[in-house]
Amino acid sequence: MNEPQIEFERITKRYNNTIAVDDISLSISAGEFVAIMGSSGCGKTTTLRMLAGLEVPTDGEIRLDGKRLNELKPHERETPMVWQSLALFPFLNVQKNVEFGLKTRGISPDMRKERAKKWLEKLEIADLSERRIDQLSGGQRQRVALARALVTEPPVLLLDEPLSALDANLIVRMQSVLSRLQRDLGITFVYVTHSQSEAFAMADRVVIMSKGKIEQVGTPQDVFRRPASRFVAEFVGSNNIISGTVKSIDKDILELETSFGAVFSQVSNNANYRTGNALDVVISADRINLSTTDLAGNNVFQCRIVSEQFVGSIVSLLLELENGQEFRVQKQQHELDRINLQSGQTLWLSWSTNHAYILDSSSNN
Amino acid sequence: MNIQGNRLINFILKSYIGLVFLFIFTPIITSLVFSFNSDRFASIPLGSFTLKWYETIYNDPDVWDAVRTSIIVAVSSSVLATGIGFCTAYTDFRYTFKFKNAYLALALLPPTIPLIIMALAMLAWFSKIGTSGSIFSVIIAHTVLCAPFAMAVIRLRLQQMNRDIEAAAWNLGATEWAAMRYVVIPFVKPAIVSALCLTMAVSFDEFAVAWFVSGLNKTIPVLILEILQGNVDPQINAIGTFVFITTMTLVIIAQLFFMIRSQGSENNTNE
Repeated sequence: MNEPQIEFERITKRYNNTIAVDDISLSISAGEFVAIMGSSGCGKTTTLRMLAGLEVPTDGEIRLDGKRLNELKPHERETPMVWQSLALFPFLNVQKNVEFGLKTRGISPDMRKERAKKWLEKLEIADLSERRIDQLSGGQRQRVALARALVTEPPVLLLDEPLSALDANLIVRMQSVLSRLQRDLGITFVYVTHSQSEAFAMADRVVIMSKGKIEQVGTPQDVFRRPASRFVAEFVGSNNIISGTVKSIDKDILELETSFGAVFSQVSNNANYRTGNALDVVISADRINLSTTDLAGNNVFQCRIVSEQFVGSIVSLLLELENGQEFRVQKQQHELDRINLQSGQTLWLSWSTNHAYILDSSSNN
Repeated sequence: MNIQGNRLINFILKSYIGLVFLFIFTPIITSLVFSFNSDRFASIPLGSFTLKWYETIYNDPDVWDAVRTSIIVAVSSSVLATGIGFCTAYTDFRYTFKFKNAYLALALLPPTIPLIIMALAMLAWFSKIGTSGSIFSVIIAHTVLCAPFAMAVIRLRLQQMNRDIEAAAWNLGATEWAAMRYVVIPFVKPAIVSALCLTMAVSFDEFAVAWFVSGLNKTIPVLILEILQGNVDPQINAIGTFVFITTMTLVIIAQLFFMIRSQGSENNTNE
């Protein structure tokens, strides 16, 4: 493992009586695309701003390439940022906006022009260089903001919800622009967002924050399939979380007593579960199978359809068991065509024992 | 019924505005008309057209002295007042601190003090420190009077500035001074020009304080009063017209720059 490029070591940020960031530690390697995700007020933006020097940590140390950053002023750091508000200079044209970071570093006008041109071309906005900012569309402004931040060829780029002002189509396009850019440049991207789809689509690693603390750090797959806590399981969306108590453990199969019957889950042999313990089990919405006939076996329950929702080629179903327990299920449209769904129809849902993930009980208190 | 009601209200409002303009402009226009009238006393019917009164003031060294004093005072105090106003507005924009409201109230206080009281206090203070009657006293007094106007104009502009753009400049390697020079000042520039013109106009017109503290360095309004005290002289109309045109020009320029403010301020909605 190579040396981390960015390190947060036990960072705390306190404002008067409120704690924005609470004792977090995080290492980011050079060239990683890391997304910090959480709902508003979770401390993700404060974390990013501390890296840029716009906030000063109350406690702890931030390092870039092993060098302590805490005392450096924003202008002494090489951590340009793409702002949520974009923060383009409205009185300068596109060219001058992009040149700004070079001008403050005392680079000659000719050199500035040349380097700005290169980035304007890279972001496919060279023909807009003489435009005023208020003559640009949202997507074009986005590209100007990126060019302006990247023109100094920094080791790290910070992005604070840069796509939040764009419409859905543009978001998807800019995501691919950003991903490609990050791969081509090979520099570190630290990306703050509240959007799970943005984080999962682009990031190598996702950091999930809540109330100033880090809940989980992992690849999108990790976070999605193996949430570290109930909070993460709920936050990453389409999960079904079932609570119950351990009834028995037979080799690697754990039987959980729940309000609607026995649920079986695969566990690793050395896991330490005791009969009578309370547990939460997570089953992803896309891991649940549907059938119009009763299949004998474990983890099979009769249910009926409460509602369905089409999201492109994916259908989200809300199902209800006889006792009222609800399940969310996601299926491809063509899979549902096969079972010929009718409303009010009785169905059986099931999942395989190795698709039920047991949440670490220690994090649930 | 409704439409008729609207028409009535429209009519009343239009008449009201007409009356306001009538009351404001009648004396000014009268003065302008009589400044070209050959009769010594203002009376109707008018005499013949003449430039005699303009000739008189053109050849009067006292008038030239007063114009020079007024210009020096107006330019100096508008620059000082705009500088101070910018600093106050910027501290208000950038920082939060204890007693900030008291600080702002203090900064906006001068126009709320009756001019006579202000003028007397200034006179007393300047005599005490021995600068009464010098042109600096008038400049200082006018700076105090004008700074709140400059601050108000610049503060409005700063409120339209996205707070992130200054931080964005730091983030791109600008020191705080560089960010001030390349970002904050360019952004508020229209308001600065507007504040300069407005405070210049206020200083150019101001009489009470100038009369108390100016001593021998008479500004134009002080000179006008002096001429009037001597006798009724139509050259007053000529000076008055000159002052009116100067002030109006400054105020119109100020207003034009003030209106630029909405244009160019970044809005974050995207099409």
